[in-house]
Amino acid sequence: MILFDNVSKRYAGGHEALMGLSFEVTAGEMVFVTGHSGAGKTTLLKLLGLIERPTRGEIVVNGASLARVRQRAVPQVRRGIGMVFQNHRLLMDRSVFDNVALPLSIAGAGHEETARRVRASLDKVGLLDKEKSAPATLSTGEQQRVGIARALVGKPPLIIADEPTGNLDPQLSVEIMNLFTEFQRVGTTVLIASHDLHLIRHLSKRVLVLDHGRLIDDFRPQAN
Amino acid sequence: MAKPRKPPNRLRETAAANQSLPRDLRAPGVRWNAWTRQHRQSFHASLRRLWNRPWSTGLTVLVMGIALAMPLLLFVLLDNARSLSGGLREAREFTVFLKTSQDPEAARMFSTELGERSDVIAVNLRTPAQGLAEFRQLSGFSDALEVLDDNPLPSVLVVTPRLDDVTLEPALLGKLRADSRVDMVQYDAEWRKRLSAILRFGERAMLALIVLLGLATLLVVGNTVRTDIQSRAEEIAVVQLMGASDGFVRRPFLYAGLWYGVLGGVLAVLAVGIVELVVRAPLLDLLASYQNRFHLHGFGWRDAMMVITASAMLGWLGAWIVSTRHLLAGRPKR
Repeated sequence: MILFDNVSKRYAGGHEALMGLSFEVTAGEMVFVTGHSGAGKTTLLKLLGLIERPTRGEIVVNGASLARVRQRAVPQVRRGIGMVFQNHRLLMDRSVFDNVALPLSIAGAGHEETARRVRASLDKVGLLDKEKSAPATLSTGEQQRVGIARALVGKPPLIIADEPTGNLDPQLSVEIMNLFTEFQRVGTTVLIASHDLHLIRHLSKRVLVLDHGRLIDDFRPQAN
Repeated sequence: MAKPRKPPNRLRETAAANQSLPRDLRAPGVRWNAWTRQHRQSFHASLRRLWNRPWSTGLTVLVMGIALAMPLLLFVLLDNARSLSGGLREAREFTVFLKTSQDPEAARMFSTELGERSDVIAVNLRTPAQGLAEFRQLSGFSDALEVLDDNPLPSVLVVTPRLDDVTLEPALLGKLRADSRVDMVQYDAEWRKRLSAILRFGERAMLALIVLLGLATLLVVGNTVRTDIQSRAEEIAVVQLMGASDGFVRRPFLYAGLWYGVLGGVLAVLAVGIVELVVRAPLLDLLASYQNRFHLHGFGWRDAMMVITASAMLGWLGAWIVSTRHLLAGRPKR
């Protein structure tokens, strides 16, 4: 599902965000990427979403070699990836329903199909009764769940999340992570950048550890 | 929950498939429906957006309307001036003033004589009595004219010559000038040349004005759309991450530009209409003093539609330039 082959990223200022990164994530896996802030987690996710291009190396996502993806085809790659952000990035001037429907309206889905899939998606994150609410009226945890429902609604084979629990208390964090493990259980590949080591250890999924742009560890903790 | 999907192929096995990069695999019909649906959505959404910000919309439309109205007014003015000069061009008569010594009878004989010539189409005689009556009516000097003992006006022959278009000074003119019975011949060739030159200059000026003010409307729309884009930068970034194409991002702004253009065009046409209405009465009076030889040309439906269409295109173009620039600026650099 994801392949990094000797990927380096140097930003225009000369900052080496990633150096010689190689790893592979198979379809249906759930993987955490961790490391101190500035270790390259966010850069890694940006490369996956074609927000940045690597300086060197090859990345394959969803069967597409990203280096060969022209600018015109970028949207098509992104439609295969559900993205979850730390600050959820909901559009505050639209209802919960419209936020979740966004990927579908981008893909040009019909009215009925949209309604059906948005409700299914909201149901999965337990917010079916909030579809008419404005995001601002929801709690932080609920907002993040709306963000997850939005990432989910297009049924992407890959979901990537950047610090999805960064703004949440431990209790909510566990709930959110449980949601992600549920998605993995039905075959979606999930890649989560997080530095919540306690939570990661608890879930006993594969963990990639980055340090100053290098991959220093790749292990699966045993739950105790 | 979605039904468990079959895990896709391992990536290393898809190297061949990598050659053909991600494409929209939906059937053309489905894609067409999606496309028209998105257009419908943008159509309504952009109108709602403009409606929700009446001040900013109104201001933009007003500036556009006024900027467009100016060259339009000049156009109407020139159009009328041109038809006026056209009227003159058709009025190719010589006005022949006979010496006062020629009595009406002699004038009539002269008129018949001229009328028999092959290079004369028609001769129209105005006796001094007719001339006086006309003068009295038009000049407002009727009281002053009462004082006169004699009619001081000469007989006038209005001669319509058969002219080939090239010669400005037909032979007939020289002949008439040489005739002892003739006091003077008035022939407006010089004056007409000058008028056409003025009109040509006016047309150039109008073209320049159209280009400049068209550019101004482009900038006005562009600037408005630019601030609109800035205020929605986060939304744009998010939909792009969700896989929105450039077209999808651009579409609502293009529609907004189109609306600005249409509304600005309508306003410009209205402005021209109002100005016409305001100047109509005095202008008609003025024209009446020219014996209604000239007619006022207004702004027709076709002109109005053309202006609105052109203005809509300008608005669309302004929005396109600005939104494309924004999209390009957001591209990652390799």
